[in-house]
Amino acid sequence: MATIRYKSKQLAMRALKQYIMPILAGVLFIWLWQQQIFHKLFNIRLHQLPLPSRIWDTFKDNIELLLSYTRYTMTEALIGMLIGSLIGFGVATIATAWPKWGSGGLLLIAALNAVPIIALAPIMNLWFSDGLGSRIAVVTVTTMAAMAFNAHKGLNSVDPNALDLMHSYGSSSFQVFRYLRLTNSLPYVFTALKINATASMIGAIVSEFFFSSGGLGYLLSNSIKVAKMSMGWACILMAAVAGVIFYMVIEKAEKWSVKWHSSQRNML
Amino acid sequence: MNPAGIEVKNVSMSYQSESSEVLAVKEVSLSIGKGEFVSLLGPSGCGKTTLLRMMADLLTPTNGSIEIAGQSTRQARLSQKYGIVFQNPTLYDWRKVKDNITLPLELKKVPKAERERKALELLELVGLEKFKDKYPWQLSGGMQQRIAIARALAMEPEILLMDEPFSALDEFSRERLNEELLAIWKKTNSTVVFVTHSISESVFLSDRVFVLSPHPGRLSAVVDITLPRPRTKEMRNSPEFYKLITQIRDSFEGS
Amino acid sequence: MKRIKDRLLPSLAWLFSLLVIWQLVSWYLLEVKETTLAQSKVPYIHEVVHTLFTYGLTLLQEGWSTFINAGAGLLLGTAVGAILAILMSLSTWAEKTVFPYVILSQMIPVLGLAPIIYGIVHDENWSRVIIAAYITFFPVSLNMLKGIRSVSPGSLELMHSYAANRWSIYWKLLLPNGLPGLFNGLKIAAPLAVTAAILVEMMGARHGIGVIMLRNLYYGPSNTYMFWSTVVASALLGIANYLLVQLIERIVTPWQPAFRTKGGDN
Repeated sequence: MATIRYKSKQLAMRALKQYIMPILAGVLFIWLWQQQIFHKLFNIRLHQLPLPSRIWDTFKDNIELLLSYTRYTMTEALIGMLIGSLIGFGVATIATAWPKWGSGGLLLIAALNAVPIIALAPIMNLWFSDGLGSRIAVVTVTTMAAMAFNAHKGLNSVDPNALDLMHSYGSSSFQVFRYLRLTNSLPYVFTALKINATASMIGAIVSEFFFSSGGLGYLLSNSIKVAKMSMGWACILMAAVAGVIFYMVIEKAEKWSVKWHSSQRNML
Repeated sequence: MNPAGIEVKNVSMSYQSESSEVLAVKEVSLSIGKGEFVSLLGPSGCGKTTLLRMMADLLTPTNGSIEIAGQSTRQARLSQKYGIVFQNPTLYDWRKVKDNITLPLELKKVPKAERERKALELLELVGLEKFKDKYPWQLSGGMQQRIAIARALAMEPEILLMDEPFSALDEFSRERLNEELLAIWKKTNSTVVFVTHSISESVFLSDRVFVLSPHPGRLSAVVDITLPRPRTKEMRNSPEFYKLITQIRDSFEGS
Repeated sequence: MKRIKDRLLPSLAWLFSLLVIWQLVSWYLLEVKETTLAQSKVPYIHEVVHTLFTYGLTLLQEGWSTFINAGAGLLLGTAVGAILAILMSLSTWAEKTVFPYVILSQMIPVLGLAPIIYGIVHDENWSRVIIAAYITFFPVSLNMLKGIRSVSPGSLELMHSYAANRWSIYWKLLLPNGLPGLFNGLKIAAPLAVTAAILVEMMGARHGIGVIMLRNLYYGPSNTYMFWSTVVASALLGIANYLLVQLIERIVTPWQPAFRTKGGDN
């Protein structure tokens, strides 16, 4: 009896730490914000940093507009990420098949990755005019590198013994690729997809700041220009929600498809 | 009554596993004299490592008591009465070889010049002076373990606790290090408690072998090793050596 | 020497062939197809390089302003991130409270906050520093905490056997163990910090590479080479920042497996 009570107390403690503390901290933060404590502390005016209640009202009142712009931004992010990830994986495959020349391609992608998104936006705007295409192109470029590097790691970190085994079966290098490297790369591909989920949204939103007629980034930067700060915050809120959902969807897909992988196995 | 030795009195240790209580060590009593070299020998699950870790105050016995040089294990740890060598060298990757050896001295605020002098002395003892400015990963497994021994000796402890220190090494390195360990022991006059699952290793090194048997871990025999000192390579082939090995093996069969 | 050559040669071949293709496309658009804004879309490389050198000093000055602010933000963010990681490793309460938000930050487009922060701070230098720091501290604290947590039980036991106090355990074991993680976080943040700084500049600062980039874009085709120069300069800035982080990593943590040279006699 005593041990049972002890255990339930332990469980309660754990729940307290796990969920209640972070929620409490979040609520406290928003409360301090709402009570204008931050405003007084850092000498910020209300029109610079609107109150949470105000942001929430704006969010509710404009939910239709926000949702339609989210759809617009997510379309860019998703398509761009798909193309970018495909190209990245392609480069990784080439670099695996022909290491000497392929690794040069990887290096090139690394250099391309260093170009700030913000410089890519105007270029893509020149190339693809100001439709969806230009932002998709920006997202494509920003998501290529993470996939190329992670997939390359996954395709090449194969257990040497497994390679020897395949060799002893007399398998062709295509078979090795199909049965060994591809499955081995799966967890790495998902790591890249998770990085790219966030990166693609950043790419889409940031390139909408300057050259767009729609999307969350467009609404965000335009609202700020005309000092409608609460609308800007509503956009951020919407982008955060969309980002979390996007990330979670990929995480679910990962759990479902790489059950065999050790990092998952140990968790169970 | 046992000034630099170890007294283990009626020690038991049990773990709380998910479903039941597991008795890892059951009522073990033994006495180790000053300057003695003893082995704790047994198959996995016999509690030999648990026993050593209790001596080192890394675990606390559920019952019974352990005294080291007349002190409690906690006092002995705080006053650095012992040095310990683990199965893995456990060297810190970011420290050069000599800095790994001086780590315990640093923790005790020994001045730098004194530390450097001691490091050189110890490196000479384990025959690795040349490697003082290398990083651990630049050394072979056997060399790394020698560094770990040097580190354990840095505080000039009266007692050296060794937990299967050579079990990860190949047979050739292991035999060579056995001989080196005996040479170091002779120079330092320390008491050594050596955990191993190799019968021949325990016979070659020890004055006495404590044989432990599993489920639950308990002391099943104490074997005096009558081989003369200094031990030499050739002794490994002597009939007496084989006789002792057979005797220990039989004590397992009996239990 | 030969290994370096073997690695460098393919990369150089790639680079060279790409430059040639670019140059050919540029010529084709301008002379054969006669596209409008041909040079704005795909400019001649030699013209861009020429501009890059002609206005080198200006670009360097403006680039420096961007670089310094991004760098300061990177430092500030690293400090905050490291302190947070240590705090989380010290107290499970702190960890449970803060960690979910650190994870959450990995899922949301934090760079989107840049214009908002600029709206609040309204000082171009400070907003660049704050945004760069804000972007840096999440990956740094996350990766450093992972590093501190990944310490082997044996290493901790060794410290315990020496009766080491908490301060020594942190200073001599946990922090060195967390350093590689700190640098991993920094390498993720380095290019983003530059992007963030340029973003603020484009929102209406007076100095920085972003300012001349936007200005030359709006001036139209006549300034196209200057625009492309700023693009090249900002890319170089991103690469420089990354390489700087990598260099510091090599100096501070030479023991990491990736930097190990074959040595010792086995």
